[in-house]
Amino acid sequence: MNKAAFYDLDGTLLSCNLVNMHAYYARNDRSLVKSVYQFTKVLLSVPVLFGLDLYSRSLFNVFSFRAYRGMHRDRLVGLSDDLFEVTLKPSIFAEAKRLVDTTRNLGYRNVLVTGTLDFQVRPIALHFEFDEIICNRLEFKNHVATGRVLPPLLAENEKARSIRDYAAQEGIDLRESCAFSDSSADVPMLSAVGHPVATNPTRRLRRIAVENNWPILELRETGSNLPPFLSAAKAL
Amino acid sequence: MKSRTTWRWNAVTGEFERGDPKPPQGTGEISAIDAFSNKTILLLGATGFVGKVVLAMILDRFAELKHLVVQVRRKKALSGEQRFYSEVLQSPPLRSIINRIGENVVREKVQVVEGDLDQALCGISADQIDRLKGAVDVVVNLAGVVDFDPPVNESVDPNVYGTLHLIELVRLLGARLVHVSTAYVAGKRDGRVSEDTPIDGYFPRKGERDGETFSVADELKWYTQFVKETRETRATNPRPVRERLRDGGMKRAEQWGWTNTYTYTKSMGEQLIAQTRGLSYAIVRPAIVESSLRFPFPGWNEGFTTSAPLVLMGGEGVKGWPVRKDGPLEIIPVDMVAAGILIVTAAVLCGKNKQVYHLASADENPIMLPRLVAFLGMNARYKHKRKKSGNKLANVWKAYVETQVITVESLQARRARLHRGLDVIHAALTLGKTLFGARRADRYLKSLRDTRRQIRAQEITLDKFLPFMFHNSFVFETRNIREATRMLTNEDLKRINWEPKSIDWADYWVNVHTKGIEKWIRPVFAASRSRD
Repeated sequence: MNKAAFYDLDGTLLSCNLVNMHAYYARNDRSLVKSVYQFTKVLLSVPVLFGLDLYSRSLFNVFSFRAYRGMHRDRLVGLSDDLFEVTLKPSIFAEAKRLVDTTRNLGYRNVLVTGTLDFQVRPIALHFEFDEIICNRLEFKNHVATGRVLPPLLAENEKARSIRDYAAQEGIDLRESCAFSDSSADVPMLSAVGHPVATNPTRRLRRIAVENNWPILELRETGSNLPPFLSAAKAL
Repeated sequence: MKSRTTWRWNAVTGEFERGDPKPPQGTGEISAIDAFSNKTILLLGATGFVGKVVLAMILDRFAELKHLVVQVRRKKALSGEQRFYSEVLQSPPLRSIINRIGENVVREKVQVVEGDLDQALCGISADQIDRLKGAVDVVVNLAGVVDFDPPVNESVDPNVYGTLHLIELVRLLGARLVHVSTAYVAGKRDGRVSEDTPIDGYFPRKGERDGETFSVADELKWYTQFVKETRETRATNPRPVRERLRDGGMKRAEQWGWTNTYTYTKSMGEQLIAQTRGLSYAIVRPAIVESSLRFPFPGWNEGFTTSAPLVLMGGEGVKGWPVRKDGPLEIIPVDMVAAGILIVTAAVLCGKNKQVYHLASADENPIMLPRLVAFLGMNARYKHKRKKSGNKLANVWKAYVETQVITVESLQARRARLHRGLDVIHAALTLGKTLFGARRADRYLKSLRDTRRQIRAQEITLDKFLPFMFHNSFVFETRNIREATRMLTNEDLKRINWEPKSIDWADYWVNVHTKGIEKWIRPVFAASRSRD
């Protein structure tokens, strides 16, 4: 039986979020005037998004993807490398790459399960050398984004369902697998595997982790301790 | 890295679609596996960009292959065979495949013969011809000179006389012929280009003036005379012979309506084949061949006459691009060309071939030029944002100003403005030199000279590509290759397929093609420029 390591992205491996990424595209619109207009729109929407995130992660996602409406896919794909260099790469946590390498060396198949969009995930996945990606996709009509996300929207329970599907298709033993996430929204995903790890947990997730006796991992600074079931890696 | 999803991108409609693609279905009238396992192919030009990928694909996909003959030209002290094993098999597209299947397997299956298209019977020795006679079923010719505007003799020798030698060889061997030409033999034309236009006697201006006819024999008479006269007047004419030969070829080509010497001589080669009675042949005409999409790995490229110079220029920050707003660029990844050539070869071996096959993308999945111009700008942004060297202000300009689609008139106006500006700077610097001495001013004068040289080089490159981007807008019909693909067996289709519809242009251009050129072409390009 194979085993897999399921990773969340935002907050777990790097400190970026959907708003930062959209703000990049807004800043880099086709002309200066358009960029200013788009960026102002993003700034104004921040309080709304902040409130939505407290209420429901799914609604937050839906609302933030709405902002892509009218953008050409060529531009979204074409600027994705620059987005990675500017916004994403500097925000990768110090120990993140080492953790991903460790699970790979221990024979886990590394799978990135994230609500982020496919074109944004690509350079990140290449950087971490993930084996597989499960992510969201925007809906396009004639290469232009409609602002909707293709169903199913990956968040909360849907993430747990998608990794169960994945495990069933690929013959992966979930009891032997592990999952890493920072947010209480991912509790269903963490509960689905045998070795959940609260990674850079939010206060809410930290409480849940303590209640369930899940290991807690900090990737934000170097020299953090690996949880016991990964401790074999120290010998590597 | 795999992406797991129930959606797949439909590049033609620009939408995601649900569900898995249906496995391709063929009628089975042509069997490539049968053809390649029982018949012998003689491959000419396997050292070229397309040639290597064809060779790699046939070795990789058809383990049943029994016998393949490859002709390689001797290069100075290196014999053809040495060159094949040290140069061709060790090249990036073949190395990993050879490591997988083993070099001894290649030695068993592949026979290398030395030869040269410039010589009679392609320079293959008499005893080798005796051995090959009757044993070779099809000759696949990928050799040729792809320079757009060389001195006319350097293009006529391989592309016209070389084809004569080829025909001679094919007839002597009693084989069939697959000849790779170019789609641009159509010349200065607009709109859809059919595969059914008669080959012999074709010239792009046909029908414009009454009573005008084109014949290769007459052209060769003109050619011999022209080269002789040019060389004889070496003493009296101050211009170098090479330059005059270059101009003469271009003028002659343009007079008949071709875009350059290359397409003119390639068309003559085709016409010689079409004139030969009793020859069973197929002519394959690829459009602009570009980086590979998937095979042997994404982004493999070594072609200099592709769009590489344009991509490099885009990366250097050129902003105004004279292109047609409504026109596609007829590009096609090299692995798709290789698959197309193998499909046509199988069709020829099964006797089910047509005469002409266009290998191009715009008929099924066009990529419009304004989209490409936008991609060039985005690449420049990525490159210049973090650039530490060079003028800071120039880097900001190159990074943040978007590329534009412009007309040729405004291009000329821009150039004139730019050169006037540079003249003023030059005058100011010369004045500075007299006022403050050479020590201070020379540094700036030198960098001005470098800038000027760079701009001039860019202008020349752009002018070379104008026929494909602005003056003419082609769509090459690809009905024949689609029909041949439908005739393959299902097992064949798992190995080779003609599928330009599957090209996601955004992903291909940004993540595959541009990166391939930056990786494989820029270093070579930079080295050749510093040599000059």
